[in-house]
Amino acid sequence: MVLKAFFPTCCVSADSGLLVGRWVPEQSSAVVLAVVHFPFIPVQVKELLAQVQQVSRVGVTVLGTWCHHRQEPQESLGHFLEGLGAIFSHEPWLQLCRERDSKSWTCKATRRQTPTAAGEDQVLLIFYDQRKVLLSQLHPPAALPDRQAGDATPSARGLAVVFDTVARSETLFRSDRFDEGPVRLSHWQSEGVEASILVELLTRASGPVCLLLSWLLSLLSAVGSCWSRLRRHRGEQVCFWNRLKAVDPSSSHVPPKVGTGLSGSRSERSVPQLPRRPVEKPVRHVAEELQHLLQWLMGAPAGLKMNRALDQVLGRFFLYHIHLWISYVHLTSPFIERILWHVGFSACLGLTVAMSVLSDIIALLTFHIYCFYVYGARCAVLRAGGPPGGLYCLKICGLSSLWRLFRGKKWNVLRQRVDSCSYDLDQLFIGTLLFTILVFLLPTTALYYLVFTLLRLLVVAVQGLIHLLVDVINSLPLYSLGLRLCRPYRLAGSLPRRPADPPLSFQMQPLPYSRVVRVYRLPSCGCHPQHSWGSLCRKLFSGELIYPWRQRADKQD
Amino acid sequence: MCAQPVTNTKEVRWQKVLYERQPFPDNYVDRRFLEELRKNIYARKYQYWAVVFESSVVVQQLCSVCVFVVIWWYMDEGLLAPHWLFGTGLASSLIGYVLFDLIDGGEGRKKSGRTRWADLKSALVFITFTYGFSPVLKTLTESVSTDTIYAMSVFMLLGHLIFFDYGANAAIVSSTLSLNMAIFASVCLASRLPRSLHAFIMVTFAIQIFALWPMLQKKLKARTPRSYVGVTLLFAFSALGGLLSISVVGAILFALLLISISCLCPFYLIRLQLFKENIHGPWDEAEIKEDLSRFLS
Repeated sequence: MVLKAFFPTCCVSADSGLLVGRWVPEQSSAVVLAVVHFPFIPVQVKELLAQVQQVSRVGVTVLGTWCHHRQEPQESLGHFLEGLGAIFSHEPWLQLCRERDSKSWTCKATRRQTPTAAGEDQVLLIFYDQRKVLLSQLHPPAALPDRQAGDATPSARGLAVVFDTVARSETLFRSDRFDEGPVRLSHWQSEGVEASILVELLTRASGPVCLLLSWLLSLLSAVGSCWSRLRRHRGEQVCFWNRLKAVDPSSSHVPPKVGTGLSGSRSERSVPQLPRRPVEKPVRHVAEELQHLLQWLMGAPAGLKMNRALDQVLGRFFLYHIHLWISYVHLTSPFIERILWHVGFSACLGLTVAMSVLSDIIALLTFHIYCFYVYGARCAVLRAGGPPGGLYCLKICGLSSLWRLFRGKKWNVLRQRVDSCSYDLDQLFIGTLLFTILVFLLPTTALYYLVFTLLRLLVVAVQGLIHLLVDVINSLPLYSLGLRLCRPYRLAGSLPRRPADPPLSFQMQPLPYSRVVRVYRLPSCGCHPQHSWGSLCRKLFSGELIYPWRQRADKQD
Repeated sequence: MCAQPVTNTKEVRWQKVLYERQPFPDNYVDRRFLEELRKNIYARKYQYWAVVFESSVVVQQLCSVCVFVVIWWYMDEGLLAPHWLFGTGLASSLIGYVLFDLIDGGEGRKKSGRTRWADLKSALVFITFTYGFSPVLKTLTESVSTDTIYAMSVFMLLGHLIFFDYGANAAIVSSTLSLNMAIFASVCLASRLPRSLHAFIMVTFAIQIFALWPMLQKKLKARTPRSYVGVTLLFAFSALGGLLSISVVGAILFALLLISISCLCPFYLIRLQLFKENIHGPWDEAEIKEDLSRFLS
């Protein structure tokens, strides 16, 4: 039978004494927590262990003896250690011995109740870093033995027991070497609590300090951005008034001081007129590009055979719409600019707010593309003679019903199927006439619909990307990632790597970043796309309007 | 059973059943085995001239398509003034309309319950829609290649001929589809004409020849078979004459087609009847002879 003895690395150089720890019979493993040094009174040791056991609810017992030969091995010490086993009866009784050259260890585990040759077991010594094990958290956390012992693998369960034991017996590590107590212990904190207190204080204080720092930083950046905006604004005003003065010769004799004072007093009026360019220029540029696109469509795009008359009508309609849009932007750009200027202050609230505002601004400034898209979809619907109630119905709904008429069939609404039907002569004639016209006009409308749908999809994709980024930023576990980066042992993976050398040491394998993100991801706002790819394609084909991330509750319109 | 006395076997008659054990070997075939076999009980005896008379419907439809194409060609070449065609079409429509009522003395009109006001309304709808849409029709296929239009028209006219209701009781027959295909072809061809007036008159003519003319034919055929034969001959010869003025080879081929359909095909049909071998017997599928309409109502 093989025993596993988990031995803390901090106790390697400790003086001889008793091994205090927990015995896990299911795993047949002994977790050594500390070493009690000589001299001690066995009653006091038992009292201490009882106290610890009461506080931590861990079965801390004396597991065996620890013997560190600094000098020549003494025969008497060996006998003494043998005798200790009678006082602290434990089954099996561990005997760890370290020789002077610190390379050779002897481990023995004896059972007193079975006085046969099989009473001596093999011992597998595994070293572990007590501090790291105490501070780290084993993943997955569900593998803790007191919660769900059944579904974890045996090795993981054993590790979980070690972690649990070390974490719960924290009271054992309260006293250090310099304490004036009846029992002297050796463990990870035995060198002194002060250093760890310092570390503790630092970690406790780091949270508020970081918060304060980040707040200060954001305040500074906000103030800086506002200051730069104000300065630019003011500079533009001065430029404007200088230009005005240059144009108007009568005002050239006005002293510059008065001019700036004038500009200050008139700033309320001059604000809306001046900073028009930053918004109007890209909008105008996009509109001009759209005009080029429409002119290309009005020709023979890609050698397609379009109906020229309908092409001209549609192209002129959309060109007129762009013209309207440009003049609208020209009229409203002062107000829009002012609104945007004030909305820009919301960037102080965080990156995600700024990105959301950006997304909304994009939606606002590409409203004409949305309009085109709606026109394209509805135009195709109307052109195909769809029923007036359902503007969102199939683009080719009319064509399909006329095709049924062409074949002498009709859609039976009551039975939800296609029935044959005898039409009148005039019905047939008009239906076929319309069908022929629609068939020949379909490519033109479909091309316009396609182009504007692609533009719309582009805008939707950009907005979706921004949404996705905001979502990622909102749900990214920054603290856990930072912990993983700076203190990898704090987040331990489920299985430690096993080294090949005989003195096994318990090496913490840090959790991979992907699992950190997966385990600690915050619940996001749930902005998931409404459509799957298939339904999106179907909707695009049938001419239904698509929205980026939300859907109206009532589609009846 | 096998152990039965041999004397009884003479009285045992063979029965065509499997549910009784009979004292015959497995490969025994009785004389009465196939006595219920019947051959060709539903085969019809055709008279040659009757078949020729019935085939005149096909000839008429072929000639209609031919006349339509010839008229379109004349219009496309500018040899036929649209006004003249319109006048002729109007006059012949009026004559046909009067004839339609005169033939059966207004009996069919009473049966269908269709008033003259409805006829006038239909005519107005035809004229108005065609006239209103004729500019659209003119520019409809501007950018489409002429060959595409020709191919489409040929397919549509062939479909019209295939799906036309010649009086046969088959699943493929659909007079609606046939008429729609003819109108589609006429719209396609009309869009190639030089002016919108041409297109309007072409589509009107298509309605007359593909929708109205077969109705009159049907009535003529049912009421006055002799005059129907005369009308068919006249129509066929006029179509041949029109085609002859365009292309001699085409006219000869068309004449051969007409002759083969009206004379050769009936002869062949009657010859093939001799080779008919339909067997009937008790193994046929069950046929419900009883009138089930009382259950349906």
